[in-house]
Amino acid sequence: MNTESETEFEKETRREFLTRLSAASLATMGMGEPLLHANADHPPIEHPAPKADTCILLWMAGGMAAPDTFDPKRYSAFEDGLEVEKILSTFPAIDTVVDNIKLTKGLEHIAGVMDRGTLIRSHIQADLGSILHSRHQYHWHTGYIPPLTVAAPHIGAWMARVLGPKNPVIPPFINIGQRLEGVGEKEEIKAYTTAGFFGTQYGPFNLPYPEHASKSVRPPEGMQPGRFANRFAHYRKLVDASPHREYLGDYRQESMLKSMDDAHRLLTSKHKDAFDLSLESKESLAAYDTGRFGRGCLLARRLTEAGARFIEVSTEYIPFVHWDTHENGHITAERMKSEIDRPIARLILDLEERGLLDRTLVIVASEFSRDMMIEGVPGSNARDQSRARTDKLREMKHYGLHRHFTGGTSVAMFGGGVKKGFLYGRTAEERPLVAIENPVSITDLHATIYQAMGINPKTAFDIERRPFYATLDGLGQPVKDLFS
Amino acid sequence: MAAIRNILITLLSFSSLHHGEAKTDFSHDIVPILRKHCADCHLGEKRKGGFSMNTRADLLSGGESGKAVSPGAAKSLLLDLLTTKDEDDRMPPKGPGLSPAEIDRIRSWIAEGLSWESGFAFDKPAYEPPLKPRQPKLPPAMSGRTNTIDRIIDSYLSQRQIPLPGEISDAAFARRLHLDLVGLLPEPEALESFLATPAATRRSELINRVLADDVAYAEHWLTFWNDLLRNDYSGTGFITGGRKQITDWLYRALVNNKPFNEFVRELIAPTPASEGFINGIKWRGNVNASQTLEVQFAQNVSQVFLGINLKCASCHDSFIDRWKLEEAYQLAAVYSTNKVEINRCDKPIGKFAEPGWLFPELGDVDANAPQPLRLKQLASLMTHPENGRLTRTIVNRLWHRLMGRGIVHPVDAMQMEPWSADLLDHLASHLSDHNYDIKQTLALIVSSRAYQSRALPMPAEPDARAYTFSGPLTRRMSAEQFLDAVWQITEAGPSVPDVSVFRGRTEDQADAKANLHGMWIWSYPEGSQSIPKAGETITLRRQLTLAERPELAAGVITADNEYTLFVNNQQIANDNFWPSVEVVPLEAALKQGTNEILLVVANAGDKPNAAAVFFEARLKFADGSEQVIATDETWEWTPSVPQVKRETASFKKTPSDWKPAAAVENQSFLPGKVRREISSKISQIYAAKNHFVRASLVKLDFLARSLGRPFRDQVVSTRPENLTTLQAIDLQNGEILNEILVRAAKNVAARDLDADALVEWLYLSAISRPPTDAERKVARAILKDSPGNQGIEDLLWILFMLPEFQLIR
Repeated sequence: MNTESETEFEKETRREFLTRLSAASLATMGMGEPLLHANADHPPIEHPAPKADTCILLWMAGGMAAPDTFDPKRYSAFEDGLEVEKILSTFPAIDTVVDNIKLTKGLEHIAGVMDRGTLIRSHIQADLGSILHSRHQYHWHTGYIPPLTVAAPHIGAWMARVLGPKNPVIPPFINIGQRLEGVGEKEEIKAYTTAGFFGTQYGPFNLPYPEHASKSVRPPEGMQPGRFANRFAHYRKLVDASPHREYLGDYRQESMLKSMDDAHRLLTSKHKDAFDLSLESKESLAAYDTGRFGRGCLLARRLTEAGARFIEVSTEYIPFVHWDTHENGHITAERMKSEIDRPIARLILDLEERGLLDRTLVIVASEFSRDMMIEGVPGSNARDQSRARTDKLREMKHYGLHRHFTGGTSVAMFGGGVKKGFLYGRTAEERPLVAIENPVSITDLHATIYQAMGINPKTAFDIERRPFYATLDGLGQPVKDLFS
Repeated sequence: MAAIRNILITLLSFSSLHHGEAKTDFSHDIVPILRKHCADCHLGEKRKGGFSMNTRADLLSGGESGKAVSPGAAKSLLLDLLTTKDEDDRMPPKGPGLSPAEIDRIRSWIAEGLSWESGFAFDKPAYEPPLKPRQPKLPPAMSGRTNTIDRIIDSYLSQRQIPLPGEISDAAFARRLHLDLVGLLPEPEALESFLATPAATRRSELINRVLADDVAYAEHWLTFWNDLLRNDYSGTGFITGGRKQITDWLYRALVNNKPFNEFVRELIAPTPASEGFINGIKWRGNVNASQTLEVQFAQNVSQVFLGINLKCASCHDSFIDRWKLEEAYQLAAVYSTNKVEINRCDKPIGKFAEPGWLFPELGDVDANAPQPLRLKQLASLMTHPENGRLTRTIVNRLWHRLMGRGIVHPVDAMQMEPWSADLLDHLASHLSDHNYDIKQTLALIVSSRAYQSRALPMPAEPDARAYTFSGPLTRRMSAEQFLDAVWQITEAGPSVPDVSVFRGRTEDQADAKANLHGMWIWSYPEGSQSIPKAGETITLRRQLTLAERPELAAGVITADNEYTLFVNNQQIANDNFWPSVEVVPLEAALKQGTNEILLVVANAGDKPNAAAVFFEARLKFADGSEQVIATDETWEWTPSVPQVKRETASFKKTPSDWKPAAAVENQSFLPGKVRREISSKISQIYAAKNHFVRASLVKLDFLARSLGRPFRDQVVSTRPENLTTLQAIDLQNGEILNEILVRAAKNVAARDLDADALVEWLYLSAISRPPTDAERKVARAILKDSPGNQGIEDLLWILFMLPEFQLIR
């Protein structure tokens, strides 16, 4: 009898424990904080061993044309009267330090570091009909196509949510270079630059101007550090002086005060120096400073050193500007390459020199590629949005890849356990320049990135009692061939 | 646990039941097999593939793949799936599957007719909420607490031996009431006079007074409805014309307190002004089948009005409630003007949906009627007096707002069991019994002792599963409540709203329209109407003598093409875009005695074209009298143009050639919306004095986002309750808040109060109570530590960051 009642007793306490546990879990759900999804169908998932601790996404916003950057095709120089349908690339190919990898003219510095990374030439995107950049960017950054019934988290938010901050004082998801006000399609950009249903705790720390980043972690303009500290000290005094003693242990009050404390700690800690580019040497600054993107790369390096988890540096999406070449594409691409080439290569070398490259995954990607002729993919109902329509080249503005192309895009990856000097996938040699070998979808590319970062692509959180997966329906398959 | 209990009951009662000639013993032979192999996906609340075996009826009704099994059938999908050799199809998908002996038992059981214990369910059937309204019998009042809510709650508490929550003070009540009903703080003077009225009636009088402030009420609840109806002033979809605001309709509906049933009808079967809600959000390009506009319609209508989540069912039969794919598409088909093909997980299933709605027991839409008629029918069904789900859903949302937690919780899961069905049903009936007047239901709630109780201090988030009501919960101010409170105290908010709605009651709107005094004028010589030359620039003037400075003065102005306005030579405003009508404050520039208003106006274009300017100002004096100054033929013009240096105008040579200006012949030469805009903006001059620009009327900015205002891409029914670290960073160093504080400190300093009075006034304004001695001491120290406006800035920041300010208790 004794044994039996002990068993009963054990059962009882375990049951109580489970009830408590699930009650606590449900409580979390009630306040809108989604829970990790696990049930009989989905046993607690195991995360892979991480190959990298920090992820840097260098975002070529607006659709970087692969044939003019990382995937050279037959080159045609500008020539009055040249039939545009004959044109594939508007830049000649150049050698890289890896024998079988060629890039295009203007990427000489990156060509010098290709032996540190992998180049994917077969990234493909969904055909969403008539192209709206921000919709494809939303897809690329969240893995889901809008509109959606729930707000999808950005991949940076997934890392913040699942992995948490690397250094507790540095916000885990940092977004550099993209303004969210004062640019076209800003509402659409904002819609994916969020933690979605995870809640703002996991959302981006936005630093549109890298050179002003330190302002975001300093006392407000015009307030001396002494006054700032004094203000906070008096604040805590007045909190403590409140006659409403009954709410002292109230969880809502406590959580509010804890967030205020944590924020104040960042704003007064030494770590905030990581945000301050003025602390870099002149030489170092000069090495990166090709413009805002270059300075963003430098800031990304400093933040990586300080322990950031996910950093995106964008060339910035502004409709019809930068990589979004609807006309005059060649000249614009030339400028863009001069802005990205040096800082990207320098970032790779600096990380390597500091012993950080092995544990940092650097990705260079874009929402899609471009083509001289085809809008979308062959057979798409996408509307032609070129602003330089012509059959034959007549002036310079006709020369360039002016149509959005989702059938074959290049992605470069460095560090973080990916193979070195490796080429993966291939696009056709003649139009249509679609991926013809090892196509990699957004879902699988994300799975690959998550795999490197130590996140199972099947990770799911319950929102409105439904599972929401890190990769679409949990189906993302990491491209194992990319890892050494 | 319930499942185990049920099984035990079944096993215990088994011996007393007869099973006829059946060889198979359901409880002993079948239940263990199903439980062992099928529980993970098809028992209890689980219905993978839409298929459940929780009850016999569930088993017989099959799933997405059709009927699973019929009594006596030799062949069935169920048996096929249990016995197939194909590992991909076999059920259960994991493990070795059923043993041959188990399969034999199932086979016999089917052959014998699928015997089942009467009333048996594997798990307690999921709670199925009633549809029809119900008038619960009210328990007797205890200790004279006669409010009908209290009668229910007092009895609820006493049955559970839970003590009554403590009462709140009058001042705390006033603060909470203002924030909850109109989203504002009680002004210190109002608070003082409230506390001076007779105790017996002061609370009920205050409730009536606050609810009667139609404008403040509308501008507070606008936020609640904007969230629910996905109405916003910026956001996704607008860029490609894939979204339409309903702001004007919504504002009017709220300010006129449109009965809720009419409100719902006009949203479902809309006019052009209210169609934005059902028309959803469209991005450019192709979309997934579960996000087409008609499916958005089904999802949004069911979530907002019925607390039903059709998001699962719009892709496949729901795993979590009773809604099926076909039902979601039927509702979608009510909206669609085309035939709607049903898609399962984005793949067509070769079947078209018949228009229909979710509760056919109340009647259905006519599938053959044209779309507008179907929408009307749906609107009538939704607001059918027997549809208690509509009223329960809305009163539950109101209760959640005012008390911190739904009677059913979460508020969008109305299929869950309420903690008090009596309370929910009573509130729902109260709403329909009072002509669907939301304000009356709000009044009932805030009049209850339950509402007028102290918020419970909680060591942790309340237990969701075993929740028992024991008092109101603390809530965090919404972004709008926070900003409104700050702007209310410091007058540091924006001067004009981002939305063009008439900020007043509809009657007042009619007045303001009728009372437009200004005319479009230009420099035409008398009798002639020559067309002004391109680039022609002239100066217009009006002189006036004021016996005293006005308390309030503001003007509305626009010009085709450009104007610069000077009052007493000081530049007030400048603009060159005629569709944008500006409201400009004038009281600071006007003075007692002689005043001069100058308008330097210019035509544009490259050939002669129409040009005119419109200006109308309203001046209000301390004695309540008003004066209108408006462009008309009493104005004069000169071709001379003053020089402007440091925003001050001066003529090189005083012009002596002032001639009368003329009204342009065609007073409606600009689109009608400009005139409407002018009326609307003039009404805002009056609104400005009593109603500062509210946060619900401005676009989302980073500060509001930090405070939890959502993007309205999805329906939002609850805001985040906790302050996060990233938000806290913004509150400590964000530019927007800092700029507000700088302006705020300036305004507060202008009150010219000594330090003690200032601290007293700020505490009363911000947290509706005077400071304690200890608090006064710290606050005084802040003012001295950083003297001048900086001290005030810092003290304001501190007060606004106090949990006592940001939390509603």
